[in-house]
Amino acid sequence: MNTILIVDDDRNLRRLYQAELEAEGYRVVLAGDGDEAAKCVARELPDLIVMDIRMPQKDGLDAMAQILLDHGRVPIILNTAYSSYQDDFFTWAADAYIIKSADLNPLKNTIREILGSQPKSGAAPLDAVPRREARASRDSEKHG
Amino acid sequence: MTAGNSPSTGREAGSAERRILELSILYEVSRALQRTVDEERALHIILAGVTAGPGLGFNRAFILLLDEEAQALRGRMAIGPENPEEATRIWRHLSERHVSLGDLLHSILDDEIQKDRWINELVSRVEIPLGEGSNPWIRVLRSHEAGRAHDGTIQPHGIPIDDGMALTFGANHFAAAPLFLGDSDLGILIADNAITRAPIGEDHLRLLEIYAQEASAAIQNTRLYRKLTDQIQISEERNVTLRASQRQLLEVERLTTMGRLATLLAYRVRAPLANIGGFARRLSRAVPGEDARRNEVDIIVSEVARLERLVEEVLAYRRISKTEFRPTDVNALIRSVLITMHDEIQRNRIRPILRLQHDLPLVCMDELQVRQALMNLAANAVEAMPSGGALTIATAMGGDYLEIDVGDTGTGIPKQNWEKLFKPFFTTKTTGTGLGLAIVSQVVETHKGTLSFESLQGIGTCMHLRLALHPESRTPGPDCEPAAPFEG
Repeated sequence: MNTILIVDDDRNLRRLYQAELEAEGYRVVLAGDGDEAAKCVARELPDLIVMDIRMPQKDGLDAMAQILLDHGRVPIILNTAYSSYQDDFFTWAADAYIIKSADLNPLKNTIREILGSQPKSGAAPLDAVPRREARASRDSEKHG
Repeated sequence: MTAGNSPSTGREAGSAERRILELSILYEVSRALQRTVDEERALHIILAGVTAGPGLGFNRAFILLLDEEAQALRGRMAIGPENPEEATRIWRHLSERHVSLGDLLHSILDDEIQKDRWINELVSRVEIPLGEGSNPWIRVLRSHEAGRAHDGTIQPHGIPIDDGMALTFGANHFAAAPLFLGDSDLGILIADNAITRAPIGEDHLRLLEIYAQEASAAIQNTRLYRKLTDQIQISEERNVTLRASQRQLLEVERLTTMGRLATLLAYRVRAPLANIGGFARRLSRAVPGEDARRNEVDIIVSEVARLERLVEEVLAYRRISKTEFRPTDVNALIRSVLITMHDEIQRNRIRPILRLQHDLPLVCMDELQVRQALMNLAANAVEAMPSGGALTIATAMGGDYLEIDVGDTGTGIPKQNWEKLFKPFFTTKTTGTGLGLAIVSQVVETHKGTLSFESLQGIGTCMHLRLALHPESRTPGPDCEPAAPFEG
């Protein structure tokens, strides 16, 4: 069973994602901010992280950088209400960029795609998995 | 107002008495001149002072002014009767009423100016080129020296009086004084006794000369004043323009702030909307289809979807300012738009029809923008077919343009809405932003294209999009090679 870490300061969103992803057959662990996320990664060794960007204290991009440095390659999906971060160079380290939407299918499909294409990872080099083309994520941004 | 002189006044007075009279004339006239800044009135006062019985007492007076542009001395204004009969009538009238010079000048200041028509027509025809150095008037103007007719010549200049001049002014009965100030020549003041044939002596000439100096200062004043008011007006106009552009700046600033606020609001609203919609979808799946509450939950789902679209439109409208042209496979783009809209198309019982030209080259465009435009057009088409229909999307090459048609078999657009169709915030839908087609037309504009449509009520609508193959310039940009044929 794949473990997915949800990092978001929005409690309701965490609850929604947990319910929806557990229904898809994943094990779901939760973190409310970037620091908590880093600890959680060390403890739970998730197969994939869904990461919000705007959070109090450590934001998603900082948390992502730290996790990738400390733990090597973990697939990360940035999941935010803001499309503006897409131009941020740091978001390129993520595997996908998905705009928050009531329609969770784009997120679920992307998770399935990433986990499906990936051998169980632990410490693959940073560049082992190319980032999903912006097009896929932007599609969902526009019409999710 | 015509004021000719009765021949008996003033000139027979004794020397001292005459001096006092002269001074009082100058005083009255200069006082009147100080009260006006209007050249027309000032000239009239000057002429009235020359001809008034209680003034200098000449029969008629003429002012010729220098016209710098035409390089000529031009007749400007005159006072005087047309013939002895008119002169007699006026003089009698004036002497019966005992009009003083002060009263006379005041009436000029306060009343409407009445010009003697005949003599003013005469003077308005006078135009002497400055080059005519032998002309007596030019000589007076340039020499700054007054002259009078005496024994067939103008003294002291010694210029013979020709027949025309003798006929107009009387052979021995006129004088002229220069109007000037410092180095600048203004014109000349001519006075005559053509009616009474009274001789003009050296003392009269001297008085006319002094008088002309006073007149020159007055004329110059009115001109300076006019120049000043002109300049004030110009600077006021500049102020008005400045204020207007200041207002425009503020307006732009206001709109920018509003745009920023709208963007911020849209971003902030997105997360809670996603939560509401996400939970509503879960609920909808949990409630059995036959349960009446299922319908109500689905309303929440579709309303949230609407709100999300609205948020997206607001953000898209802001995004158009950033443009990135890349070679794009348009047919693939259209297919992906239809895939994204799959649910909506199914739900509304729409049959999608694609008529895509299969060997279309890659076309230089901002893919995100064109996708947004196509989404908006397709969404409009779907909404125009509430009871189902066919959505047709066609592509074709037409010269330097890529053509995309989006057609529906819907209700059609009422004629009265045709003109407003592409204006921002125009909408016929209760939940629309009115930005949909405004975005499309902006996208078309950035792609140097055109947007047109045909619509028949009850039959349907077809939107025609034409996008330039190389929208950035005539020569394609560095990351936009000439369109290559695209297979597949």
